[in-house]
Amino acid sequence: MHTFLPNHNLYFVELPILIVLISLVYSATRFDEWRPILLEALRWGMRLVLFLFFIGFVLYILDRIT
Amino acid sequence: MSNVPVDANALTHEDPPTNPFAAFLSYLIPGLGQIYQGRIGKGLLFFVCVYTLFFMGTYFGSGTAQIKTKASDDPIAYEEEVYTVTSNVYLPDTAEQNNPFNLPRVLANLYNRPQFAGQFWVGIAAWPAIWQYINYNRRQDHGDTFLADFQRTPNDKSLNALHTSGDKTLELAWVFTVIAGVLNVMVIYDALAGPAFPPGTDQDEATA
Repeated sequence: MHTFLPNHNLYFVELPILIVLISLVYSATRFDEWRPILLEALRWGMRLVLFLFFIGFVLYILDRIT
Repeated sequence: MSNVPVDANALTHEDPPTNPFAAFLSYLIPGLGQIYQGRIGKGLLFFVCVYTLFFMGTYFGSGTAQIKTKASDDPIAYEEEVYTVTSNVYLPDTAEQNNPFNLPRVLANLYNRPQFAGQFWVGIAAWPAIWQYINYNRRQDHGDTFLADFQRTPNDKSLNALHTSGDKTLELAWVFTVIAGVLNVMVIYDALAGPAFPPGTDQDEATA
């Protein structure tokens, strides 16, 4: 469908971009200075990644036992 | 004279005045309200992040599919038809087909495509969809000369062609645009009332 990004991949391109941008915007609505914004973005990015890994792990386990 | 005890902390903490005009600017273009307030770096951050999400989603949600079908007059020959979807930001007029709660027309259309209720909040970037919705004519294949098919409700044939010829990216793409719109609601609130923790707030206390 799209010619200049033929191998775009949900997990390695689109999802990281989504996580980084959501973390930055959310953190910037909590603070006004760059240092706390970036620290909070890092925290929320890690929380999101851990949450998604947890969901993936649960789905993997369910897939293995069913 | 009242003898009501006064909390000392309440006197030291004053909420900043709200700024509806800045909030309106941030609705129009993400981050514009913050730039107007002098918070230029943060405004640019909002602008880049929200628009990246929105237009990336729009890009992944558009495309062209070429479908080969058997020619009606020749059993051996094939005809190739091209189907195009220009955007996943649109509001179809489907109130007549599905309106289980007898809602007003616009609300019924939003009920049938709730994605637009999120996409709307990205501001000006979603206004072409409103224009196309107001001026939509089912009998015409294309929109007006100004916007053409941009953010116009695609026909079912085009949607089916793209869904069957591609992967699930098309379906996931609208998530990006909806997240962009919903994030901009937070940006609007930041322009209206300032950040959740104003400068000077103890960060340990703020993130606890």
